[in-house]
Amino acid sequence: MSNFSSIAYYIPELILVILILSVIVIDLIPSLQDLKFPVAFIGLGLLALALNLSHGVKASIFMDLIVVDPFSHFFKWIFVLATASILLVSRYSVEVEEENHVEYISLMLMILLGLFLMASSTNLLMIYLAIELVSIPSYILAGMKKNDRASNEASLKYVIFGSFASGLMLFGLSWLYGISGSTNILDIHAALLTNGNQFLVYMSLMMIMVGFGYKISMAPFHYWTPDVYEGSPTPVTAFFSIGPKAAGFAILIRVLYTIFTNDGSLNATSPLYDVNWTLIFAVLAAITMTIGNFLALHQENVKRLLAFSSISHVGFMLIAFTVIGTEALTALLFYLVIYFFMTLSAFIIAIFIKNKLDTDTIDGWKGLAIRNPLISAFMVISLVSLAGLPPTAGFVGKFYLLAVLFRAKTFYWLAVVAILNSIVSLYYYFKIIKSMYFLNEEEEVSSEPLEVNPYVKWTAILFSAQTLLFYFYWTPLIEFINRSLSFWNS
Amino acid sequence: MYLNYSPIIIYTILAIIMVVVPLFIQSLISPKHNKGGSKLTSYECGEVPEGSAWVKFNVRFYVIALIFIIFDVEVVFMFPWAVVFQELGLLAFVEMLIFLLILLVGFAYVWVKGDLGWVKMKMKYAHGRYSKLSIKEEV
Amino acid sequence: MDNSTLFALLILFLPFTAFLYQLFFGKKLGAQTHLVSLGIMGIVLALSLGFFFQLFNHDLTGPILDVSGEWFSTGAFTLELGFYIDKVTIIMLMVVSLISFLVHLYSTAYMKDDPRYSRYFAFLGLFTFSMNGIILSNSLIMMYLFWELVGLSSYLLIGFWFEKNSAANACKKAFLTNRVGDIGMFIGMLLIFFTVGTFSINGITGAVTNGAFEGNMQLLSIAGVLVFMGAVGKSAQFPLHIWLPDAMEGPTPVSALIHAATMVAAGVYMTVRIFPFLTPDALQVVAVIGGITALGAALIAITQMDIKAVLAYSTISQLGYMIMALGVGAYQAGFFHLVTHAMFKACLFLCSGSVIHAMHHSLHHLGDHHTDPQDMGNMGGLKSKMPITYTAMLIATLAISGVPFFSGFLSKDAILAGTLSYYHTYHGWTIFLPIAGFGAAMVTAFYMFRLIFKTFHGKPVKPEIHEHVHESPLAMTAPLIVLSVLSLAVVFTLPQINPLDGHGWFAHAVGNGAHAAGLDIKHVNDGIHHAHHDAMNISLIVATLGILVSSLFYLFKIVNVEKLTSILNLIGLYSLSKNKFYIDAIYNALLYKPFMWFSKLASTIDWDIYDQKIVDGWGWITMKISVKSQEADYNWLDQKIVDGFGRFANYFGNELRTTQSGVVQNYLMGGIVGLVAIILIFQQF
Repeated sequence: MSNFSSIAYYIPELILVILILSVIVIDLIPSLQDLKFPVAFIGLGLLALALNLSHGVKASIFMDLIVVDPFSHFFKWIFVLATASILLVSRYSVEVEEENHVEYISLMLMILLGLFLMASSTNLLMIYLAIELVSIPSYILAGMKKNDRASNEASLKYVIFGSFASGLMLFGLSWLYGISGSTNILDIHAALLTNGNQFLVYMSLMMIMVGFGYKISMAPFHYWTPDVYEGSPTPVTAFFSIGPKAAGFAILIRVLYTIFTNDGSLNATSPLYDVNWTLIFAVLAAITMTIGNFLALHQENVKRLLAFSSISHVGFMLIAFTVIGTEALTALLFYLVIYFFMTLSAFIIAIFIKNKLDTDTIDGWKGLAIRNPLISAFMVISLVSLAGLPPTAGFVGKFYLLAVLFRAKTFYWLAVVAILNSIVSLYYYFKIIKSMYFLNEEEEVSSEPLEVNPYVKWTAILFSAQTLLFYFYWTPLIEFINRSLSFWNS
Repeated sequence: MYLNYSPIIIYTILAIIMVVVPLFIQSLISPKHNKGGSKLTSYECGEVPEGSAWVKFNVRFYVIALIFIIFDVEVVFMFPWAVVFQELGLLAFVEMLIFLLILLVGFAYVWVKGDLGWVKMKMKYAHGRYSKLSIKEEV
Repeated sequence: MDNSTLFALLILFLPFTAFLYQLFFGKKLGAQTHLVSLGIMGIVLALSLGFFFQLFNHDLTGPILDVSGEWFSTGAFTLELGFYIDKVTIIMLMVVSLISFLVHLYSTAYMKDDPRYSRYFAFLGLFTFSMNGIILSNSLIMMYLFWELVGLSSYLLIGFWFEKNSAANACKKAFLTNRVGDIGMFIGMLLIFFTVGTFSINGITGAVTNGAFEGNMQLLSIAGVLVFMGAVGKSAQFPLHIWLPDAMEGPTPVSALIHAATMVAAGVYMTVRIFPFLTPDALQVVAVIGGITALGAALIAITQMDIKAVLAYSTISQLGYMIMALGVGAYQAGFFHLVTHAMFKACLFLCSGSVIHAMHHSLHHLGDHHTDPQDMGNMGGLKSKMPITYTAMLIATLAISGVPFFSGFLSKDAILAGTLSYYHTYHGWTIFLPIAGFGAAMVTAFYMFRLIFKTFHGKPVKPEIHEHVHESPLAMTAPLIVLSVLSLAVVFTLPQINPLDGHGWFAHAVGNGAHAAGLDIKHVNDGIHHAHHDAMNISLIVATLGILVSSLFYLFKIVNVEKLTSILNLIGLYSLSKNKFYIDAIYNALLYKPFMWFSKLASTIDWDIYDQKIVDGWGWITMKISVKSQEADYNWLDQKIVDGFGRFANYFGNELRTTQSGVVQNYLMGGIVGLVAIILIFQQF
């Protein structure tokens, strides 16, 4: 589709661009400075509206650089919700300084734009640009606490690891271009079917996987995750654990299913030639979840612990790539939504604790159950869901993922590893619960009630409640996901 | 089909040759003795170097350089447009205006925030984000 | 969503919001907290009235609303929840919301100084929610869900004063007895489900019509009787009726709402709903159970001295009537009696509550905490002190006794006609049904007037108490007035005003029912029509007889009651009734005692023989062995293997930590080495 007529399909992104600019402009006018957050929320509201209107639309726009399809639409909803809730919470976070608010909001929105593009790009160049558009503002956000050494360090490590990964990915992308002579992934698939060298395809797949694996923090490209998560301001950490990860999965699914399957579509059943990437993902999934879980065992820092927990959840989600088919994708997307809610609620509560008590350590949470029973109760719900126990949606999500393996009758060992891992994970999740609820006799903690900002409280409660809701009634969500599993393909 | 990639091989070999051969030649023709003295100083167009080149630059240079590059690249985008802008017509003109407007917002941002100022701290004309800064008292 | 669905949702969930409000914020308004519940019930009542007026829309033939949505789907089958509203539903909805509203109003005065005032209203809200759920549901499974919920709220309300041992026991008994019926109901539901594949009532009826049980009608009969077992439990039918008299331990307004007018009628309502697919065989079982209950409970009621116990047995007896009516195919009559009974029995209970309230206050005034305020032996002559209560109670009593001009006459008459016609069709032993019906009618008239006479007429038994009795406040008397007006026959027969003819709007709205499982409904109705006159004459005679005898006994005292009692007791008749046919004692002897004996025996075997001898003997042996094996176990299994796992995880985690060194160069190295390793391991070329 030509550039000009594409604009009609591009309205959500355009709203976002205008929103970013207007937030910056508003900040420059002294009398309007207090309106930054309201404007951002109004803008995101408009964005959500525009997004809602584009429901079910399928088109390939800007000369096939990006597409609009139900699949990207699904992810865009996750991004918008994550950004809006994080912005809402950030406003009350002590870690984001008042004078940096405008940079904070606009960078966050830029990442959102990048995420949108990541979910919908179908061109190698666009994929690279989108990933960079997400990465570069992320580096700055990680170093937002200018006077904090850990934050500076996080930012630097992020930059170095990020450029390493995107360099390798770019190398892989150039191989792909070299083999096929095109940068459009649909064309690449068509070219590979008629003319391709298995070894080259395999090598390029591996190198592309570095870039995507780094975004979703898959082992062995996960090293940056704990350091960056620990050093960044907590709201930013929460955002990193949702937005870029979901986008990474989106692009991974799109690229794998479009280029590296024989069918080149979501209904594919077998990998391209014999490039057996399902086995690779099975091994990587097992490694990722094991590393995440075992590293989390010894953590005393809640943010670092949640970072490792997110790595192990990524491992779980990677299970979906060991089987090719829409069923696996349904399970993955379902898990992603559940993960979104449970992780965000846990992080929001961590933000609240950081605000009030200025502590990141598990010991700092001691006696929270007395000081704020409501928040602790919802933290328990989130943690139980993260651990994947009934009656929470985390259980349903894990169940769906493992069911994929059993239905396909492959990789039983992976299922065993996954189950063993979720047992290990119980230990460190319940360490937090223990700290909140159980005290040694000689220990004395303050029993003074902790006041919660109502926005923070209700966001946390709302998100944790979802994990219960989706345990009892998830049919509409599954239906929505099934409707969303549809690519644009000429 | 690897033959398709033969230019790359040739290019690689050439690159190696281009590095190795001059080095070899200069080792042949360079004097074997009298290597000390001014021969080891860095070449600065005949001027005598003032101190080491390994000094810390003030971070303000970095900010200015960054801003310079951004607006420099802006011109790179404008150049091809300017060459053919009569053929592209009004639409392209409007597009370029939008492009400039976006960059203008960035320009306004650095201006208002005081990033274009040079001397900042504790000075009466420091403004923007620097107006509240102060030098820490030495203890 | 159209308006009807919205209204149905509101009717269902508004009481639930009242429940939540009272549960969580009940203390906020203090003594005025009932205003919220009352307001919500008012809205529910208004919404129900909105539905009610649609009854008079003559163009309406089918159901007003029939929607359902998927609850969950397992792949093998799908469960749906939904609403079904037809004219029967609307009438039932009207009855429940009206009586619920009145009871809320009444309770504001009756429960005034209770320390758990807000919790009481919370439970009432929960009950109304669950009851509305039963009424609105379109499938057996949804009905079952709410069925258990009403069971729960009934449990909570019976045991509301749980400090009293008797109340705690009563609620336990009610719950357990109901479970027996519910298990049957659940098995029956599953039997049907596995044959026709749906829980939807319409769906089952349709499937039965289409011959889903062709050649296998016994299965349907068994399933029907099993489902009906739920009604036996909930509607306190013989042999599961024993919980209802005990349930009178709850507050009296609760007895009026739950244990007289609505929840116990839920069993009947359910039977009305499943009527179309109950086979004639199953219906015969239903009829016999109803007949036994109707007559038996009436006979027990004669000799009870507790005012609420009399009413409780009367309720059981009347429920028996309804069940019997459904059993003989008199669908309309059964449902008609449900509605009329709800009105006059709620009125009776609320009146008795008013009397108890007055007695209680009088006793409280005197500082007497030993005299039972519910014992009729302590009352008498209250007519002059409590004129409104007396008038209302008299009207309701006339209604229940089957006197013309009052609603009970019409409905009871229709049921009796149904039993007569059933006998005309089947002959033989079925004569039991009309005998039970007419007998119960006579006995009912007798004991109800006994209650009236002993309570309100004659000389006060204890003048000092009588002196301090006062009429109850307006919040209590207003519901009495409303309910007594609704006990008049003319309310149900409009536009018809002939007191002997029941064909008014009600009959028109309910219709004659349909049947899918082999009952010729037209034949039954013709039979009822023919038997109508005989039934009316006989029932008039028995009612008159009952009232007459009662007044001879208790009003004019011509017959010496005590003498008669002792004569009757020569063959044990009096104590038979007084002791409720010894059913509790029989259960005690046949079920409870043997069960306890058996569990004692089991415990003896388990503890004295098995535990002490065998286990401990083994223990002794194993002690010896274990001392030896302990060493091996602790030193090897525990220390090495079990702890080994833990230590392995610990160690592994600790070792892995070194990879996370914080040195970014190592990270990059790790990434590169990992990538190269993956590439090398998995490459196949």
